[in-house]
Amino acid sequence: MSRMVIAKLLPALLVVACQIWMGNALARDPNRDVATSDSSSTDKPRPEEISATVGANIQVFPSEIKLRSRHARQQLHVVRVRDGFAGETVPGVRWTVSDPEIVQVQDSVLLPLQDGTATVTATDGDGKQATLTVEVTGTQAKHQWSFRNDVQSILAKQSCNMGACHGALAGKGGFRLSLRGYDSEADFRSITREARGRRVELADPGRSLILAKPSGVLPHKGGLRLREGDRDFQIIADWIASGAAGPRDDDRRLSHIKVLPELSRLQPGDQTQVLVQAHYDDGSIDDVTHWAKFSATDQSVADVDETGGVTIRGSGQAAVLVWFGSRVVLSKMVVPYDNEIDEAIYAATPRRNFIDSLNLDQLRELNLQPSPRCDDATFLRRASVDATGRLPSIAVREGYWAQAHHLRRDWLVEQLLSSEDYVDYWTYKWSDVLLINGNRLRPAAVKSYYDWLHESIRAGTPWDELAREILTATGDGENNGATHFYALNQTPEDMTENACQAFMGLSIGCAKCHNHPLERWTNDQYYAMANLFSRVRAKGWGGDSRNGDGKRQLYLATSGELVQPNRGRPQRPAPLDGDPLEFDDPGDRREVLADWMVSPENPYFARAITNRVWANFFGRGLVEAVDDLRLSNPATNEALLDAAAKHLIDHRFNLKALMRTILQSETYQRESISLPGNRDENRFLSRYYPRRMMAEVLLDSIDSVLGTRTTFDKIAFSGGDAQKTDVYKAGTRAIELYDSAVDSYFLKTFGRNPREITCECERDDEPSMVQALHLSNGETLNPKLLAENSLPQTAIAESWDDNTYIETLFRTALCREPTEAERTKLLGVLSEYEDDRATALQDLAWSVLTSTEFTFNH
Amino acid sequence: MLHLTSQAKAHTCNGATRRDFLQAGTLGAIGFGLPQYLAAAEAGHTGTEADRKSCIMIFNLGAPSQLDTFDMKPEAPAEVRGPFKPIATNGDFQVSEILPRHARIADKFSIVRSCYHTAAAVHDAGWQMLQTGRQFTGGVNYPHAGAVLEYIKGRRSDLPAHVVLPEKMGRGGGNLPNGQAGGFLGKAYDPFALMADPSKDNFKVPDLLPPSSLADVRIDRRRRMRSAVEAGMRQFETTESARMFDANFDAAYRLMNSPTAREAFDLCKEPKKVRERYGMHRFGQCCLLARRLVEADVRFVTINTFLTVFNEITWDIHGSKPFTTIEGMKNIVAPMYDQAYSALIEDLQDRGLLDDTLVCGLAEFGRTPKVNPAGGRDHWPQCFTCTFAGGGVQGGRAIGQSDAIGAVPADRPTQPGEIIATIFKALDLDLHAELPGPGGRPFPLVDFGVREIKELFV
Repeated sequence: MSRMVIAKLLPALLVVACQIWMGNALARDPNRDVATSDSSSTDKPRPEEISATVGANIQVFPSEIKLRSRHARQQLHVVRVRDGFAGETVPGVRWTVSDPEIVQVQDSVLLPLQDGTATVTATDGDGKQATLTVEVTGTQAKHQWSFRNDVQSILAKQSCNMGACHGALAGKGGFRLSLRGYDSEADFRSITREARGRRVELADPGRSLILAKPSGVLPHKGGLRLREGDRDFQIIADWIASGAAGPRDDDRRLSHIKVLPELSRLQPGDQTQVLVQAHYDDGSIDDVTHWAKFSATDQSVADVDETGGVTIRGSGQAAVLVWFGSRVVLSKMVVPYDNEIDEAIYAATPRRNFIDSLNLDQLRELNLQPSPRCDDATFLRRASVDATGRLPSIAVREGYWAQAHHLRRDWLVEQLLSSEDYVDYWTYKWSDVLLINGNRLRPAAVKSYYDWLHESIRAGTPWDELAREILTATGDGENNGATHFYALNQTPEDMTENACQAFMGLSIGCAKCHNHPLERWTNDQYYAMANLFSRVRAKGWGGDSRNGDGKRQLYLATSGELVQPNRGRPQRPAPLDGDPLEFDDPGDRREVLADWMVSPENPYFARAITNRVWANFFGRGLVEAVDDLRLSNPATNEALLDAAAKHLIDHRFNLKALMRTILQSETYQRESISLPGNRDENRFLSRYYPRRMMAEVLLDSIDSVLGTRTTFDKIAFSGGDAQKTDVYKAGTRAIELYDSAVDSYFLKTFGRNPREITCECERDDEPSMVQALHLSNGETLNPKLLAENSLPQTAIAESWDDNTYIETLFRTALCREPTEAERTKLLGVLSEYEDDRATALQDLAWSVLTSTEFTFNH
Repeated sequence: MLHLTSQAKAHTCNGATRRDFLQAGTLGAIGFGLPQYLAAAEAGHTGTEADRKSCIMIFNLGAPSQLDTFDMKPEAPAEVRGPFKPIATNGDFQVSEILPRHARIADKFSIVRSCYHTAAAVHDAGWQMLQTGRQFTGGVNYPHAGAVLEYIKGRRSDLPAHVVLPEKMGRGGGNLPNGQAGGFLGKAYDPFALMADPSKDNFKVPDLLPPSSLADVRIDRRRRMRSAVEAGMRQFETTESARMFDANFDAAYRLMNSPTAREAFDLCKEPKKVRERYGMHRFGQCCLLARRLVEADVRFVTINTFLTVFNEITWDIHGSKPFTTIEGMKNIVAPMYDQAYSALIEDLQDRGLLDDTLVCGLAEFGRTPKVNPAGGRDHWPQCFTCTFAGGGVQGGRAIGQSDAIGAVPADRPTQPGEIIATIFKALDLDLHAELPGPGGRPFPLVDFGVREIKELFV
């Protein structure tokens, strides 16, 4: 039975977010040959540096290189340079070498011959040239391949240590490696000591299982991975033959990786190549392009194959994600749209603040035309819905139009940001993030958590303070609603993961079992962070969330550590990349966490909340998904997100300051109508993107137009049972509900956030036939139209004429006057009802309230 | 809707006008313009009288334990084999004692014990792979198999081509799209979700029928006034989402005016005995409704056994609270599934529908071979069992084997792409047909080299 390898069991809680490695599963053209390209000239990845060499219009990557052993190599790549940007691969380059005894170039790979220096020149078909300098050393020295830096890189490139193969927690076929090779010591033991040592045969490397299986000499379920005679095969064979030395403490260590070029400017159809260099702590730099793994962030713009060869497929902005040695870096590509846009348009477009400047810079770079400013009526409706979740009231409408034309919008922004509606709306939004949910908290706890949040927002508590109050909460849940964050997350692991998700937009769940494959977070860091929470205790936790009175008392124990399962001992408590505390430090460990979390130095905290606020106003985050701020998931406009986050920090995390700047920006105030010069894009903010109002706002808007109310008197638990509730008094709006479990078919159908996990993705704004059926036949809108005090009845009671009725409806629902065409058509249909005027007015209201124009913000 | 087939009888309302135009616009936005559409239509993607194939996809959210259902290992050590005993069937394989009715109809379905996938062991990764055949990468969301069918063949009646019962699956723990949508084909190919529990006494399709106060003449006037206001949509950019919002009103109108649809969704038309044979629980009545929908020419029905893996006892048997243990399966989940599945297969056969209807039982992964300390099993994508019946599948066989402890495929390893290819094959779709992918790139129905599980059909 010893042969039987049974999984170390996946912890039940692996259910929690584990960002998966987005592999290169897509069909690729296997015949694409990147090596046909050749290149020339100077290496300067940064475009501004490139522009210093204007005149040279081809360039070779890299521009200089040191080859430090006779086994060193460097792939070369020549690109066209246009307007200071690296462009596409130059095909058919001819290579010449100043001293052919020092180096040679074979298939665009530079190989050392003997020590010395040389200049290598690339010449393209037009005779344009570019050069690089190379210094060769160490060709006489004995060279030894390193387990940590060479063998592990090969195993990773060949996917041997991926989760699907030997990197699975249980290994595969009795052979287990650490996922993506994060643990060289364990992998070395596994390779050299287990399986009775048959994995390496020092005397006859070819018979080592580690070579015989992947090369097909012996059956291998993972298929052919290494071919005998290939360089990678030979490196492992040489490593074995020279004694199969293990990882050493004095091995050079990878300090970072770098891509060449970092930024390219290309056109659809172009091909290019990403080169990858590993920088080690001894100052050496190796070409590891052949060992790096590549994937595309947006295949419709740029696709990449396993060698780093890139094909541009469409316009926009994309990146190639490069992984090597647990490091991740992006090579970015800008592909301008094929538009004819007059330069003068950018200069003539108004700029109110930094958002506009940075947005226009990007539009110009991508050759996209900004749509013009929207009219005042559009802005009134748009800003009211986005900032407060409410259609403008009569009072606001009158106040708005009474302002001088040039002051109107700023006036409105101030009205909105200081309104009570603002408090309700944003309490609801942040309740989504904090998961205030009657399925998981008892009613008293739901209310105290909500009340605490509502009060904080009314008081204008800065976001960093709000986060700190949650993270360091103690005491009685009734008096301190902030303690309920911990009631929702009762283990140190859940606390860690949800705090990271809510406040930093980071899913670190992967690191619970292994080093995070797409981030720098390690299993050690995960448990160091989780140990900050190991002394959080409460009376009243556990059990079914629907039982009991929900009274809880949160306190800190004076001892207790969280054991890291992989090491069998606790880590010293530390925020992810912060300094560790001593185990016997007497303070509240969470204070240290809070300091680290909300520090302006924390690159995630300010960006995460900035991105959440941004998404509220623009319909999409600068980073999408909003909750996914991985380094490997770049923003559509990094400079803009950085600047907006800095703006928030400068304003001491006062969210209103950020919202004001957004609302005032010309970028936010653009029309939602597209132009030929921006029709094809949907993420660079050349116009305002219309979107359906969120479920709660839509329901409230229907009520506000009709003057009706919705009754909320039931909590529907996810098991299917329900409970009466009387906490919501008559007239409570949907946006004022504390709890996502309040029963409402309308809200469910229109995709409210059920608050199961911290993810904006739980909210669903997709249109569906079910919604159309509900608006047409359902028990929400039809009864409202019939209700005693609803607008159609009021119109009858007050004997409005048809025109007054139509105008009132249009003004309250659409914030505009009806057009003559609309008026004529509607009056025509109204006349068909003859003397059944009540029905006529109801049906007219129905047609306005189900229109796309009403249900969307635009 | 502009489908790749002419659907004369589908144009019940305002003919092939507005929606078709909008639909063509949608295709254009993803690089598939009208000319290509016409070419595709001419190339023979049109329905024929032989076009009777349907599929019922039962998606077992939570992921059943292969070792306690269809892939018993009585010889394995106690910590692997679990508490249940295998029983003989009338097919070539044994099943768990908790599935006695399966044992009696095993000649009608076959099992593939060597399914596996290579993505992360989180529910949603498996959901997307087992419903679309691919893992979502590079920003590309792939379409559900039912969406692909709808795209290629269109509706067969007034009812939608693809219906999800009882409602769309929720989110898993991995924050990933779950694959129960139109993906890159667009929102127009999202399935119609029932949004109700058909086992409830007062079950009806929510809002299918207008309230009695809404006479046809009123509905017509409402529609005309609505389109007068809808003309204002030009005042703002018509995104795909906005177009779909409007288009859904036409689709809703078609459905609510269809006697076929009313009839199909009316479970009261079924004798009590039949309803009880399926089981008076949500899953049982969904299976019965699926049969009625197939009879009413719905091409693809996806049944979610459960709605999410949260707050509900599902196949997700981690053992620890709030999940159930292995033992716990025999109380609720297994009897429910056993009853409804066997009733569905027998009923389809009795009615002569089984030959044209593929019924597949899929899940996002299997469970760990070794029982965990809490008496449950955890996630295990390395090996699991899927079931197939009808649609040309020969029953009674076990295809592919797992190793001695059900940990990895021992032969015929089968990936999600092959399972989806099997569905396409049973639906008479050409695996080499191409879909318009993002950026105008053609996407084959399945990746190059991926084939159906041939052994099921011979």
